[in-house]
Amino acid sequence: MAPVASGDAFSAAQRHEIDKAIRDAETVCRCEFSVFVGRSEGESRPFAERLHATLVAPERSILVLVDPAAKLLEIVTGAEARRVLDDAEVQLAALTMQSAFASGDLVGGIVQGVQQLAAHARRPQVRHEA
Amino acid sequence: MTNHPAHTRRSSPFRSPLRRVTALLLLVPALLVTSLTGPAFAEAPVQWEDNGPYSPLYVITILVVIPVGLFALITLLVYLPSMMRKNESYQPGRPWRNESEWFGGPRGGVGAVDSTEQPLAVSGSDHSKERGGASGQW
Repeated sequence: MAPVASGDAFSAAQRHEIDKAIRDAETVCRCEFSVFVGRSEGESRPFAERLHATLVAPERSILVLVDPAAKLLEIVTGAEARRVLDDAEVQLAALTMQSAFASGDLVGGIVQGVQQLAAHARRPQVRHEA
Repeated sequence: MTNHPAHTRRSSPFRSPLRRVTALLLLVPALLVTSLTGPAFAEAPVQWEDNGPYSPLYVITILVVIPVGLFALITLLVYLPSMMRKNESYQPGRPWRNESEWFGGPRGGVGAVDSTEQPLAVSGSDHSKERGGASGQW
């Protein structure tokens, strides 16, 4: 069983920082962002996909799961989000986050990762192809 | 060569005395006002009691020690909550003992996942191929 929670994970300022990164990202691109920080129950990938499926609009949502205890990171993109954000770009953002986490910067890694995902997803959709 | 420098040189002797006089004239009211005012001539009203001299220690206590003390107390009260919370928040490298936190998640939080797990898992399997993403470890 998990040990009893010993208070909040983030300070108010850190929480605000993450909230702001998510809000900014959602204004940059048309995807919806969701960041889960905590223990994943069971296998991390299915758990992340289950979390993703419970979101309001999974199709155009991007879920970032960070498990600081297991040092795991999962990013799930919905079908519509995947059209503007392919897996290689997600992998790049994941690498950015991993290096920040490895240096012990949990909040900074989340903020950078969300920003990078949004920046890649910003790519305008091509309407006319030559 | 242009004749601009000559022109300005010719006009300057006429203009500078005029300027000087104007500047002096403008100074007169200011000088008058400042020279006429002196220290206040009024004496203290008779009704005012003479409380006698205060000791410097008393003056310093009232004017310095109490304000500085209040300043320190208020500063301490402002910073105390954040100083205390610092130890509670997650420090990198420590094992995660906190509750899960979900930013931008559904209202029910993780509890909502467990309750709706079955139907969504079934419907989600249809789209699982369209879903993308990446995994990582550090």
